[in-house]
Amino acid sequence: MIESAFVAGLVRVLFVCIIITAVYIISARNLLSIVSVYAVQSLTLVVIALLLYLLEGAPVLIAIAAITFASKVLIIPYFIATIQEKIRIKRDIQFHFLSPTSSLFVSMGLMLLVYIVLERVMAATGDRDNLFFFGAVLGISLMLMGMMVTFSRKRALTKILGFLSMENGVLLFGLFVTELPFIIEFLIVIDLIILVLLTTILTVGLDSTLEDYHKRLHRFHLWEDEVEVR
Amino acid sequence: MIILIFAILSALTLAGILLSRNHRQMNTVCIAQSVTFALMACWILLAGQLPVYRISIGSPYFFIDHLGLYEVLISTLIFTCAALYARGYVAGLLDSGELEKGSLRLFYIAWAVLLAVLVLAFFSDNLALFWIFAELTTIISAILVAILSARDNIDAAIKYIFIASTSMLFSFVGFIFLFETSRVVTGTGTLNWTELLLAAHAFPPIMATAAFVLVFIGFAAKSGIFPFHTWLPEAHAKAPSAVSAILSGVLLNVGIYGIIRTYAIVNQAGAGSTASFLLALFGVLTIGIAAFSMIPQKNLKKLIAFSSVENMGIILVGLAVATPVAIFWVLFHIMAHSLTKASLFFSAGILHRQYKSPLSSEAVDDIRDVFVYQPLAAWGIIIGGLAIIGMPPFPIFVSKVFIMLQLGTASPLVLGTVLVLLFIAAVAFGYFIITMFRKRSRPGRDTDLVPYRTPVSMKVPIIVLLFILLVAGIVFTTGEVSFIQSIITELKFT
Amino acid sequence: MSLDFIIYLIINTAFILLIAPLFAGLIRKVKAWTQGRQGPPVLQQYYNLAKLFRKEIIYSPHASWIMRATPLVNMAAIMVAALFVPLVFVPEPVGGIGNIILFLYLLALARFFMALAGLDAGSSFGGMGSSREMSIAAIIEPTTIIVFAALAIVFKSFNIFVMFASSAATGALTTPTIILIGISLFIILIVETSRIPVDNPETHLELTMIHEGMILEQTGRNLALMELSAAVKLTLLMALMINLIIPAGLAVTLTAAGIFIAAILFILKGSLLAVIIGLFESSMAKKRFFQLPSLFAMAFFFSTLIIIIEVFA
Repeated sequence: MIESAFVAGLVRVLFVCIIITAVYIISARNLLSIVSVYAVQSLTLVVIALLLYLLEGAPVLIAIAAITFASKVLIIPYFIATIQEKIRIKRDIQFHFLSPTSSLFVSMGLMLLVYIVLERVMAATGDRDNLFFFGAVLGISLMLMGMMVTFSRKRALTKILGFLSMENGVLLFGLFVTELPFIIEFLIVIDLIILVLLTTILTVGLDSTLEDYHKRLHRFHLWEDEVEVR
Repeated sequence: MIILIFAILSALTLAGILLSRNHRQMNTVCIAQSVTFALMACWILLAGQLPVYRISIGSPYFFIDHLGLYEVLISTLIFTCAALYARGYVAGLLDSGELEKGSLRLFYIAWAVLLAVLVLAFFSDNLALFWIFAELTTIISAILVAILSARDNIDAAIKYIFIASTSMLFSFVGFIFLFETSRVVTGTGTLNWTELLLAAHAFPPIMATAAFVLVFIGFAAKSGIFPFHTWLPEAHAKAPSAVSAILSGVLLNVGIYGIIRTYAIVNQAGAGSTASFLLALFGVLTIGIAAFSMIPQKNLKKLIAFSSVENMGIILVGLAVATPVAIFWVLFHIMAHSLTKASLFFSAGILHRQYKSPLSSEAVDDIRDVFVYQPLAAWGIIIGGLAIIGMPPFPIFVSKVFIMLQLGTASPLVLGTVLVLLFIAAVAFGYFIITMFRKRSRPGRDTDLVPYRTPVSMKVPIIVLLFILLVAGIVFTTGEVSFIQSIITELKFT
Repeated sequence: MSLDFIIYLIINTAFILLIAPLFAGLIRKVKAWTQGRQGPPVLQQYYNLAKLFRKEIIYSPHASWIMRATPLVNMAAIMVAALFVPLVFVPEPVGGIGNIILFLYLLALARFFMALAGLDAGSSFGGMGSSREMSIAAIIEPTTIIVFAALAIVFKSFNIFVMFASSAATGALTTPTIILIGISLFIILIVETSRIPVDNPETHLELTMIHEGMILEQTGRNLALMELSAAVKLTLLMALMINLIIPAGLAVTLTAAGIFIAAILFILKGSLLAVIIGLFESSMAKKRFFQLPSLFAMAFFFSTLIIIIEVFA
């Protein structure tokens, strides 16, 4: 058995990685790189789940890691990247309500708030491991940061990525707070995949016959800007 | 077993839709599905000894109790009416090219799946399972909103999905909290509502409150509570009217249902007062926002949508009072609102077909000579409008009066505020109808209208619903009363 | 003052003067490679400096004593600051040497005189460069302070020597938050040494230049001093990053072998970092002036986060 202090240290390093990816998703303007950073973030979650398995030994963690890897590291990013290629949007530089800079400041405040609130609430559940408490705080913070991406971006694709990153936050929170039954996790992933499919397809129009597809794209002003540039 | 029958029926429906070749057949299949579901629900009501905890298949995850059955009865009734209405309405959409032929099958598949998912959601014992089904209802109903070939619809659908889904994630975190609390209290974690309610008295109040706040965020967005109500008017105004009726009459109830369930747990945990405060606060704010948004409305469907927001606020305020009598009338109000709102959207749909108003929410309705062209729809709107603003003898009058009486004993100040706001909303509604329906064509300046021959299938649901409403407002059977009372005992509100 | 410390002063000053142009040249070479060019030799900076030191100095007729004093003040301030950052060998700190706040102010002093000199010559480019430099300085100031405060909180000391000693004792990452500090320091390094996306050190395009604009009027030996001090500043900030994040090999006791190994390792690590900086610069486009705060905000965010974590946990 590997020394648990070492594993805990590794988990902490991965926490830092998750923060970095979250900040990147908030502030980046290149769509494709946001997609790949999202994949990296999910991969980090997979590794965290595996490390937690080493710490706790609950087999459900391996199942969660496997399903997360299949769905969030492979399928969803691939799908979004394909769609993104089709609709030829490369950059997302429009924001409303909050610029990335102010989003960062707000999320800092939110993290602090989450920490304080959770500390009071979690006190009720008895003494907790420091690591697990941090995981919970980070999970909620990641969720809030994802929410800010969802609300501050104008492009639907980026909104989807913000939502997905929120969902990662929920997963992280779930991993560190408690062990949910596997069936629930599985259904959530199914739900997530349907949602991603639907919203991405909605963004390009409902029909996929080719002429109609292009006509719709024009009607929906989805690639107007790009056309004008060329 | 029962759940399995529902699932098999849904599968049959889907097969039927896939096999059928034209709109008529698809629609018939959908009507058949809703009717069978409604009959099944009635059969459970009459035959089964409620609550049914042990269903032979899917035992730990599903159960049937009075509240779930109540919601299913309302939903199936509205779905039956809406499916019948869609027969004429969707045919009209197809003729005018607003709905493409290729999307028709998708429309009915989504329709059938939505009903199945709704029933499963109301029969879920496991809260996480309920969450997933509720989330699926969002996604599927968004398909129904987005199905029309217009950019506005896709915008509205995307807004709907994002607001509802992102908020629903908060609910899920809330459920994780509940799970963890139950794990600490009982040793084994559970999300089964029945077990949670039994164990709830031992929950630490602060955990229960935190869980409730998070759950409330999600389901508030689902049922259009301020500040998450922004998606609601747009989605409701832009959806086809048959879908608007379902959105308003059934899907808003899903959110309220989730709030009621969680509220019952929190109430048991002894943290009811904080939750009550939250509910009352957001309830009043919601009523206020809705009332003031109704004043400048120029679009009939949007006006009706804001009236839904207002009614959700009333339901929250009623829940906040939390006395058995208040809960009784809240449940009654849910039913009354659903039926009234469905009939209103049906009537608005006929007017929409007649006057070809664009579905965009900014568009001003060009309604004139309404009694000449569409007398039934006009009277439908007038009577439905009287019902929704709470005029006797309609059921909303009764439920509003009793909720307000209960509220008066709890807090006269809130009562005063709510009454003023309700008055504003009623005036806005009345003003809109009076100005709109008095317009006449000016000869020579307005183009002549082609009278829209409203199919019988579109008229029948309105008449049926209004008739049911009239009866429900006057006659209270002992069976009805004892049924709602058993819901309250199951929720343990004393 | 012990003998160790005197030896440290000599070694550190000599070493930094010796290797500073190397890293600047390396970055330039990497950028040339990524652009598909051959680029000047890595040692080109040394040749440039040698040539410049032999050239005569010409002053603008408008120039005052500031123009004459600036290269010297600048070099002096940077060299004193260089004493604060041990490159290969960490002795016991003496007096105020190593204080991180003093370090900051020494850098600020150098920058202040550079900006004055830019104005002093009376050329319009110099004035533009100075005004931009000062605006950026004003924006980055809070970030820098917060980053250094985070450092001070993590290592529970204001002294760079103590920080290095404790990180050298651990050998690897002291805490995971150091990664975040690394990112913040990297951003500060980019800003302080006027690199893409803040400024482009290679161009004399009049509309965008900041640092180059300020030293446009410098000639001969003075220019050599300015260039050298810029290179030393770059090396200093790089050393700060390297010795905090990957301190392996940093000598804490005075032995010839230890210092030799540490020096070799430092050059290797520094070259690696220089390559990373070069790649980073090549992958970015120069940002518009008003977009810069988003870059600083990231550093600010990370450092505040570190402070929150360290204070609360």
